[in-house]
Amino acid sequence: MNEFFVQNTEAIQKILSAYPAGNKRPAVMPLLYLAQRTNGFIQKKTLDEIAEILEITPTEVASIVGFYTLYHDEPGGRYHLQVCTDLPCALRGADRFLQDLCDNLGIKVGETTADGLITIEEVKCLAGCHHAPLFQVQGDGDISYHEDQTVDAAMQLIAELKKKAAEREGTNA
Amino acid sequence: MPKDITLTIDGQTVTAPAGTLVVDAAKRIGINIPVFCYHPKLEPVGMCRMCLVEIGRPVIDRTTNNPVFEADGKPKIQFGPKLETACTTPISEGMVVVGLSDKVKAARKDVLEFLLTSHPLDCPICDKGGECPLQNQTLEYGSADSRFLLDEKMRLSKHVPLGDLIFLDRERCIQCARCVRFQTEIVDDPVIGFYNRGRKLEIITDSQPGFDSIFSGNTTDICPVGALTTADFRFGARPWEMNNAASLCTHCPVGCNTTINVRREAKTGGNVSIKRIMPRQNETVNEIWMCDKGRFAYHFADSPDRLKNPLIRKGSELFQTTWTEALSAASEKIKQAGSGLVTLASGRLTNEDIYNLRKLTETQGGTFIGYSRMAGGEIVNRFGMLPGSNLGDLGKDSVIVVVSSDLHEEAPIWWLRVREAVKRGAVLISISIRPTRLDKIAAKTLRVEPGREALAVDAILTGDMADIVKQAKHLLVFYGSDGLGRKATGQLAAACARLLETSGHARRINSGLIPVWERGNTQGLWDMGAHPADQIVERIASARVLLVAGADPANDDPMMERALEKTEFLIVQDLFATATARKADIVFPVLAFTEREGTYTSGERRVQRFYPAVPAPEGLKADYEIAAEMGAELGLALESSAASLVFQQLAAEIPQYSGLTYPLLAKTSDQWPIVGRPDVYFGGTSYANRQGLGIHLPLLPLEDFEIPSGDLDMSLHPDAHELAVYPVTRLLDRGITVTTSPLLASRLAQADLFIHPATARKMFLNADMQVMLPVDGAAYPVRIVLDETVPEGAALIPRSAGVPIHEPQVAQVAPPVGDHASRVRS
Ligand code: SF4
Ligand code: SF4
Ligand code: FES
Ligand code: FES
Repeated sequence: MNEFFVQNTEAIQKILSAYPAGNKRPAVMPLLYLAQRTNGFIQKKTLDEIAEILEITPTEVASIVGFYTLYHDEPGGRYHLQVCTDLPCALRGADRFLQDLCDNLGIKVGETTADGLITIEEVKCLAGCHHAPLFQVQGDGDISYHEDQTVDAAMQLIAELKKKAAEREGTNA
Repeated sequence: MPKDITLTIDGQTVTAPAGTLVVDAAKRIGINIPVFCYHPKLEPVGMCRMCLVEIGRPVIDRTTNNPVFEADGKPKIQFGPKLETACTTPISEGMVVVGLSDKVKAARKDVLEFLLTSHPLDCPICDKGGECPLQNQTLEYGSADSRFLLDEKMRLSKHVPLGDLIFLDRERCIQCARCVRFQTEIVDDPVIGFYNRGRKLEIITDSQPGFDSIFSGNTTDICPVGALTTADFRFGARPWEMNNAASLCTHCPVGCNTTINVRREAKTGGNVSIKRIMPRQNETVNEIWMCDKGRFAYHFADSPDRLKNPLIRKGSELFQTTWTEALSAASEKIKQAGSGLVTLASGRLTNEDIYNLRKLTETQGGTFIGYSRMAGGEIVNRFGMLPGSNLGDLGKDSVIVVVSSDLHEEAPIWWLRVREAVKRGAVLISISIRPTRLDKIAAKTLRVEPGREALAVDAILTGDMADIVKQAKHLLVFYGSDGLGRKATGQLAAACARLLETSGHARRINSGLIPVWERGNTQGLWDMGAHPADQIVERIASARVLLVAGADPANDDPMMERALEKTEFLIVQDLFATATARKADIVFPVLAFTEREGTYTSGERRVQRFYPAVPAPEGLKADYEIAAEMGAELGLALESSAASLVFQQLAAEIPQYSGLTYPLLAKTSDQWPIVGRPDVYFGGTSYANRQGLGIHLPLLPLEDFEIPSGDLDMSLHPDAHELAVYPVTRLLDRGITVTTSPLLASRLAQADLFIHPATARKMFLNADMQVMLPVDGAAYPVRIVLDETVPEGAALIPRSAGVPIHEPQVAQVAPPVGDHASRVRS
């Protein structure tokens, strides 16, 4: 049984209807978004189910997940903080920035803070090279850009994110 | 025809059709522009940047639209500010390409330096070392040093099984995407892909089982590094230690040209052993590809279970004996039998074997029978493809009809080539009782009731495709035996021939009938005069001497098995102690195709020659030799000393083969694309063809030939409580030529009975249930598999997968009661 389809039938049908019949393939992007928004990351099972819905191979879906740094196929923190360290950014000190940020949080690149809220990731060009160091934050179904960053500014943002999360949960973590 | 364009490359003037890429134009005149990602069989992607060159174009005066000339009268050439990729740039009139400048040399050097930043450089233990484009091109264009830090090299996993057959070394991959593009563009199995980006990019597979494609081995040929290797060959030998012999794949009627790589090694006691089988280029047959069955299912030839000595029956047991004793005993019996001699020869044998066996049989007045489940050879010989035809020439203006054959399973390379033709614009009509991979590319799919295939073919010219078929320049028709018995395939062939005749395509170039025979040389079997016969069971039972070569009737059919008990005297020539051989009075062990030479004739009716790859083991003989030596004892002068001499005789007798000789079959001509040449590297490790492209046979004259007529409706009519069981063909069956290659074990066909869920409900059957399937008086355990694509009331069962079912038949399955199963079987 295609659980993903059963649980999101309406949303999926709406997405599919945006594409010409017989060409479902391009719907892979919105379907992956949907899966990620629903579960926080894309599980292998969901990936296979998306392939089944679109009549393409699971490998093709996995390749797309792998290509885009916005998709996650492993559970991570509630917020993914993605720092670009591609060449232009590196020239403006992004490497150092990333390292210092991690040291401040006490985690390594790719890891998640103990409270399960922040995952730090290293990504390729985010198309904001002239404002490096920069990162984007992905979480709560949203993406935001943060340019010309310093570690202090980033730590402040992280504090705000934690606060926001706590408010939403109604707890006082 | 696209118009011709003239340009200069490194000072040489070249003329090529518009649309040609710079890189191809250069290679055609022997100028090597190095490439990694570009492959002439794949769409260009410009990913690796190895092919960068300087390109200049004539300056055109915008006001007059005329070329601008220099003071010396030569056209003024403007070079772009940057280098361009020769693999993505089409040629244009007056273009000037420079591949030898310092700028270009520096660029190549830099590209290689980048490619090597994370390459492990483990050439000494890499299977590709010695035939590796990255290694070769680094030596030629690269630098000895790197400016990158050794410590920052990526370290990735080195032994990643992508499935049972292919291993990936992630560090070695240079991200050229040849493998991914091959799987997507050429074989439509996008089961490997890229994951991640940049330096982290990795090849992945998510299919079940991993790398689930019957063409996977080809990626190891075109991978320009040692990132992809086969489980069969990896760490097996260094390329320079191996010798090679031109050979042919014997598994299906496509007749892929191959190269067998061999090496003498201590492991096998200093004997020469086969290390791998590679495709050999033949652009009219297999291009540069082969399927995984052909590549991996060759271990029957080096199986330890091969027969090594002649055997003779004394009482209830077979004992080893000498050739002299076995030959004289056999010929004595044959002499006594006279016209009571019946010979069964299969399409596993070579033309030479079949010819000698026929001579031996005919001179005794015996009956010579072609052991085949398909009919229609005499029709194929008159309505087949004309010499000069090439599947590669079909495109727009062509119609291809495939009826009753799952080409993907039965003749994979034909499937690949039909798909390419469809990509070029050919219209495919697919007619079958069940869905196949052809449906996806077919313009028209006709799903017919089992037994009514020939009727569907007959109706094409009155149906909605009639005009398209009639107006097409070329009409190619494949017919097979999916779900059909022998008689039905004959009727089908006749219907197909009538279609060709009525539409006006018969005996025209790139048109005609192609039989999807079940064996590699079934066409040769027909040509040599061995036709299938009716009442084969009775003939077996009443034979005074039965000579069986390359066939195992006892295993194929319980009725034949019982009939063999009645045969007075049974002589068997085989590689293995088959069920039939175990019943024999005399068994002759034969040479495998790897140990001898000979010819096979493909379904397209191309005669091709193969050469010995390993020395013939002591004590074994080729089938034609055995026949000749039995003949000698009977006073017949049959050729036994060389296959080429037998071929001379058969060419003198068989009209289509007239004038053919071994040297003619060994002729080659230039082929495009260029592969297998290190100086103008393109295509991977596929071998260049230096040993013969084979010869396409002429058609037999039509005079005095009438296309057989008869009832075209072959449907079975089961009662409500019965099933109509149809045998279908799977690529990887459980025949001995496949099971001897353990690598393929997990993909072999099972004894499964496929039925529609509605049929199951009616018969109170469930998925996975074990039932007994009665076939000709015996019963076999099968597992029920529910499949909505199977016609209702019908059941499909793979051939050679444990249930000996030859012909479609009506059967009543029964649940096994207690130990009933074993009792019925014994
Ligand atoms: S595995 Fe080989 S063919 Fe595939 S992308 Fe890597 S280098 Fe190219
Ligand atoms: S397509 Fe047929 S002839 Fe070619 S390699 Fe496969 S089995 Fe052999
Ligand atoms: S390189 Fe970092 S945003 Fe472009
Ligand atoms: S970019 Fe031209 S060969 Fe790779």
